Amino acid sequence: MPHFFFNKKLILLLVGMVFLVALISFSLRERTNATLPEQIIKDTVGVAQSIVAKPANYITGVFNSIDSLLNTYEENKRLKARLDEFAAVQAEASDLKSDIKKFQELTDKSESLKAYDPIHATVIARNPDQWEQKIILDKGSSHGVEKNMAVMTAKGLVGKVVSVTPFTSEVELLYTDKSNYRVSAMVQGDNQAYGLIEGYDKERNELIMKRIDSSLTIKKGQQVVSSGLGGIFPKNVPIGEITEVSTDDFGLTKMAYVKPAADFSILDYVVIAKRSATVIDGFDSNKSVDNTSNKDLTHSQKGKEEAE
Amino acid sequence: MVRFLIPSVAVLLFLVEPEFAMFSPIEVKGQIFYLVPRFLILYLIFISIYYSRQRAVMYGLFFGVLYDVFYIDIIGLYSVLFPLICFIAGSIVKVIHQHLVVTTTISVVLVAILEFILYQFFYLIDFTTIPLSEFLRSRLLPTIIANALFLMILGWAFKYLINARVLQRAREVS
Repeated sequence: MPHFFFNKKLILLLVGMVFLVALISFSLRERTNATLPEQIIKDTVGVAQSIVAKPANYITGVFNSIDSLLNTYEENKRLKARLDEFAAVQAEASDLKSDIKKFQELTDKSESLKAYDPIHATVIARNPDQWEQKIILDKGSSHGVEKNMAVMTAKGLVGKVVSVTPFTSEVELLYTDKSNYRVSAMVQGDNQAYGLIEGYDKERNELIMKRIDSSLTIKKGQQVVSSGLGGIFPKNVPIGEITEVSTDDFGLTKMAYVKPAADFSILDYVVIAKRSATVIDGFDSNKSVDNTSNKDLTHSQKGKEEAE
Repeated sequence: MVRFLIPSVAVLLFLVEPEFAMFSPIEVKGQIFYLVPRFLILYLIFISIYYSRQRAVMYGLFFGVLYDVFYIDIIGLYSVLFPLICFIAGSIVKVIHQHLVVTTTISVVLVAILEFILYQFFYLIDFTTIPLSEFLRSRLLPTIIANALFLMILGWAFKYLINARVLQRAREVS
């Protein structure tokens, strides 16, 4: 194409390229909030999307019910077997509940990290190109959703809110490669082991829980829940089950592979957990808190070595 | 009537895409496959081939910006790739035969190229770390198959609709 190299067009092309690179790098920065035009577009598309999502969700609902209908017989068998245990467990649970109430009255502490206000939301879209594992919900800041809140289904934690506009919110799922995405978690058991859910293993398709104290014993099959110590998530939201325990890269702490409890393939209704206890900025937010602390650690170690 | 049908089909496909994305990823025998619906760009490629390249590039720019802002928060990615793909499609068509089978093949190949560029981009900015072979197996191949199926089912309808519009415009002019 010879006319392509006319000066005017070439300059236009170059300016365009520069503008493009600037635009991409601007949007790749860690932004705390969407700009106004972005918010307007997001809300408009979000409203249209939620209209389309209604029949779509209905259809997936029908498919799901057909699917569960086909499994009824098997499920019934299993449930019958567990029904006998259920009565005993329920009795114990009510007993424990009343105990807890008594103790709370004794210690005068009514506020618990476990308590949260649920905001029910419908999934209106899933990022179609699926490079980032994102879903978009039909509730936004006007409904009380804030950044970094926990998002879960009845089965367990699925992700956290990464950005909000007045009428939509974007959720990044636990299956993510982002290095600054972490959730403060806890292994349930006699001795509670705390750690952080950081990243996932693509081959095993499981989450990785890191920074667990190596003196504590954790076993395969134990349940992992959110600890509430990250500052934003409520306590005791189920995350998954441990499938394998090993030591981490440096051999200082333990890490565990966690099979998520929630089903990520078809998400249609989710709950956003608004914690009742005071919210602080901690591990659950995307701030690179522990990168700096890591640096400090290495610095102090170096210092020690030098001193020796 | 037909005049407004063309953009409204594009809007509909834009809104339907993420609903189909909810079915993905699928798991077959322990293997995870990602199906990426690319209905909108397939439709735009058809517009570019059968109707007007310039119009397709305009639509591509508009929906590219919407895509960028609403889904991926990186402005300038789809808003360049969509018009670019439409432009290439419109340019190719001048040298080849406009049979439905040929255009379907070209569209699918262009979508594969789009996917590949996106993979390279996201690899570059560290959004993904999957190796190339894994990308080909778990993403590109299933995506190509799914989109080829979609085009086989609805390609003739796109062509029919766009031809109706072309005829209408020819009548208006004469």
